[in-house]
Amino acid sequence: MTVDVRKEEGGPRAAADPGDLVLDASGITLRFGGVTSLDGVELGMRRGEILAVIGPNGAGKTSLFNSLTGAYVPQEGRITYRPRAGGEHELRGRKPYRVNRLGVARTFQNIRLFSALTALENVKIAAETRLKAGPVSVMLGLPSARRAERRSDERAHEVLDFVGLAGKLNELAGSLSYGDQRRLEIARALATDPQVLLLDEPAAGTNPTEKLELEELIRRINRELGVSVLLIEHDMRLVMSVADRVMVLNFGRRIAEGTPSAVQQDPAVVQAYLGAPAADAASDDAAPDEGTAPDGTTARGGTEPTDARVPSAREGEDAGTRAARNEQPGEEPK
Amino acid sequence: MSATTSVNVRTARRLRAERWYQRPRWRRLAAMVALAVTMTLVTGAQGSHQDLFFALEENLTGVALWVWLALAVAVWAGREFLTPQVASAVSGSRALASGPLGRVREVWRADRRVRFGVLAVAAALAVLVPSGLDRYWQTVLVDQIAIFVLVAVGLNVVIGWAGMLDLGFIAFFAIGAYSAAYWTGALPVQPPMVLNNFAVIPIAVVTCLVAGVLLGAPTLRLRGDYLAIVTLGFHEIVYLSAKNLADYTGGTRGVKVDRFAVDLGFWSYEWGVVDAMPYYYLLLAFVAVVVFLFWRLEHSKVGRAWTAIREDEVAAASTGVDTVRYKLMAFAIGASTSGVAGVAYASKVGYINSENFVILLSVLVLAYVIFGGMGSIPGVLFGAAFLVWLPEALRSLVDPKDRYMYLGGLLVVMMIYRPQGVIPSRRRSRELKLARSGEVEGDGTTEPAGGRLS
Repeated sequence: MTVDVRKEEGGPRAAADPGDLVLDASGITLRFGGVTSLDGVELGMRRGEILAVIGPNGAGKTSLFNSLTGAYVPQEGRITYRPRAGGEHELRGRKPYRVNRLGVARTFQNIRLFSALTALENVKIAAETRLKAGPVSVMLGLPSARRAERRSDERAHEVLDFVGLAGKLNELAGSLSYGDQRRLEIARALATDPQVLLLDEPAAGTNPTEKLELEELIRRINRELGVSVLLIEHDMRLVMSVADRVMVLNFGRRIAEGTPSAVQQDPAVVQAYLGAPAADAASDDAAPDEGTAPDGTTARGGTEPTDARVPSAREGEDAGTRAARNEQPGEEPK
Repeated sequence: MSATTSVNVRTARRLRAERWYQRPRWRRLAAMVALAVTMTLVTGAQGSHQDLFFALEENLTGVALWVWLALAVAVWAGREFLTPQVASAVSGSRALASGPLGRVREVWRADRRVRFGVLAVAAALAVLVPSGLDRYWQTVLVDQIAIFVLVAVGLNVVIGWAGMLDLGFIAFFAIGAYSAAYWTGALPVQPPMVLNNFAVIPIAVVTCLVAGVLLGAPTLRLRGDYLAIVTLGFHEIVYLSAKNLADYTGGTRGVKVDRFAVDLGFWSYEWGVVDAMPYYYLLLAFVAVVVFLFWRLEHSKVGRAWTAIREDEVAAASTGVDTVRYKLMAFAIGASTSGVAGVAYASKVGYINSENFVILLSVLVLAYVIFGGMGSIPGVLFGAAFLVWLPEALRSLVDPKDRYMYLGGLLVVMMIYRPQGVIPSRRRSRELKLARSGEVEGDGTTEPAGGRLS
């Protein structure tokens, strides 16, 4: 019903206008105590594109997501969101549920479903946040409450159908396969009618077949629903095939941005992933397999004290995770 | 050389191996035996300051110790060795389940008339049976069971559905009771106008709503144990205010409250002092209405949002659920139910003082909810009714001073063997199972009590 089918001819991919930014973040700086997790990150996301964020472990990708969705409040910077309907919203410092209501939905790196509820209920919870029905009307069984119930039911069925979980409506979320759980998380995010969808490593832990299906799903979300997708992913094959543009983070800084092929050639990126010649196998495994290796391994001199910096960046990530656990969502990590 | 190596290997293996007494099954036996000894000591002869070891000697050489031990071992053995067999018998009877049992379930699920029929029979029993009881039990039924069932159903919203540990729930009960006293003109301070007890109910509901929000708003950023401590403090504040502001509340001396009465001009009725049954019907109606409304709430958007918050607050917020609003809502709804119970209590008993609202009651109500099964309305109804009835029933059987010891012993056994409660809610027991198998993190109220059942 309210799925926005914007099948513009040629697809939004061609229509992604470089000037029309749906998410425009500048100078985001996020610190946890002495650890700087994000250091003046710039992010310009065009409407209707699929933008991938890549970077080694601890580069600040998830921190960036958390900052964009209100789970963390960066100390500095601006995050401007421009919905289709017009207007501008500052997302920094907004509570997560408000960010979601404006049309920015997300999934989580470590799947966070409501495990003891069924797939249908998981999605309904999301769909219902858009419907007005207070506790009193529910208790009295007013027509408005019944209508809302019916509508959320329809909406949930529709979304589950879209992601291909129509046959598993009544299974418990916790008992679904890993790939299905990932898809259910996406369905839950889609049920809130987002304009921007943030996917945090949606392919982690899925098998090759599921990866292909996921790739297809991301494309369909982008093309058929007209949702702009921001994607964190380690699987380079997936990133290169699905993303319109790629942004690379390292140590909380943006080190490159551009089309997938351009980013692959970027010496700074190669170094970030492979490190200096002394580079170790500890850097991300998925990265170097596609064409970057030939000139990458020998390109740079060993000037960067890589080893000394990696642990501190990791600590930053850990601090972030801890903060996420201990704090109310939307509380300021100051 | 090789000898020492093999010795080392053996030592290492021995150190790694789980000792038999470390296995959950035997640890539970140890717990049960300890419980038996404790029960022997606390329910046996009393000590004296002249002979310090008198009670110890008397109790541990008596026959009671052996009775308690036999009971503990019997419960332990039954649960440890019979349950797997029963379980396998049950699962082996899947055939049975798809056969006659399944048929019953099918009819139950498919046909509304059957469900209404069963409900009608239950309602008829609830209405008719108590009139056959003797006066003492009728009073117990009204003054305690019906009232505390109502309170427990309210607490269930807060703890069972929204997953917030509230240790001070009786504070709202007290606020309801004192509202009734104030507005009927019973307190030393006079209200602007004296109202009928029934008219006080909505006022008490609103007062408790406001009190719930006032307590909730600043504290909802706290979680689990921290929230529990704050609610505990809130209870103490209310209780001590009632106790020490004697010029306003009557303090420990208490005040006399009018009873329920209706006067419509052409028809009037007064709920009397002696006969408890009219109160019973009134409270039965209260409970029925509240249960019906809450049942709807549970299976609605609101109930699902609470479950989401309980399971994963971060995910719920990221999905657009206004977590603070829903938590406040749970606090307010639970508090107002407790407030209604408070008005009913004050109006039935006809006299309240600050000692009616001690902290023990808050803890007991929490025990009713957990015992019956958090989040499950039938469970909470049963849990409250049974645990209020039990001490009364024990009054004639054992030393009345020891009644609550038996209650405690029962709760300990319950938490070892059936932490999900007597009639658990489906969602809750799934959560508990997932938390146990380590698939999800339990919240403050789903954390398993320790040790997993083999």
